[in-house]
Amino acid sequence: MAIAEAIRVGQELPPLVKELPQRRIDAYSGVRPRSIHSDDGWARQKGFRTTLAQGMMSTAFISEMLTRLLGAGFVKGGDMSVAFIKPVYQGDRLTVRGVVKELRPEAGGATRVVVDVWCENQHGEKTAVGTASGLHTDAGER
Amino acid sequence: MEFADAAGFKPLTYEALTVGEEFVSDDHLVTPEDVETYAFAVDDHHPWFFGPSPFGGPVAHPTLLGNQALHLRHSKYIVHAGLHAKMEFHFLEPIRPGMRVRSRGKVIDKYERRGKQYMVTEFVTEDQAGTPLVRGQFTQMLITR
Repeated sequence: MAIAEAIRVGQELPPLVKELPQRRIDAYSGVRPRSIHSDDGWARQKGFRTTLAQGMMSTAFISEMLTRLLGAGFVKGGDMSVAFIKPVYQGDRLTVRGVVKELRPEAGGATRVVVDVWCENQHGEKTAVGTASGLHTDAGER
Repeated sequence: MEFADAAGFKPLTYEALTVGEEFVSDDHLVTPEDVETYAFAVDDHHPWFFGPSPFGGPVAHPTLLGNQALHLRHSKYIVHAGLHAKMEFHFLEPIRPGMRVRSRGKVIDKYERRGKQYMVTEFVTEDQAGTPLVRGQFTQMLITR
């Protein structure tokens, strides 16, 4: 299938919804005292209302979205640049969204698919924004 | 904390940090358990993590080793808290269970903006043969209060 038929600029990717219970944050960051990710008292002492999910968790969610879109062309050849603009707290529910921004020809007949990506919390506030990209080939496995 | 001080670790402060200083992680063997734990943590159970993939066997989530890079500064400093401000990844080769991996990093900038202090680190994560798997850079806000 030609790239133009499969992926088009302006296309919205299917959103991902991610719940962030403390248990998943603990699995991601490890549990230790004096951590804003796993020690509620320490997080409050540092000025937060409760423990925070690592910003890096949002990069994993964006990675999942791009792997669903591009498969092997994201796992090898993908990239991402993301700014974390608002804290994500335990108990939050994130929706991960993406819109195709650009299709750029690359060597070997591949096309780099560039996607505007962002995460928003259950209040509709953006918590992370950036771009991610990967390679699309007609023969690529997804 | 006195033990950490005695072992040569010092509290991370803007003043203590030097642009150009380098960090190296310990080696880490990527295990199937790592991959499974990560899949649970981020609620992503892609079949390539547990079985055949286009790369000839299981591969890990591309961001699996992000924390190895992010924690590089812990190899020299006592870090009380910090906020991750920006992250950039370039996924060069798939990460596979059984690889022994290591991250190296270098502080390439530190700056103050709107009363807050930041450090910027570039990193590469390599396998045991020295093949780069992931490159990138990240910006962390220092919280020292």
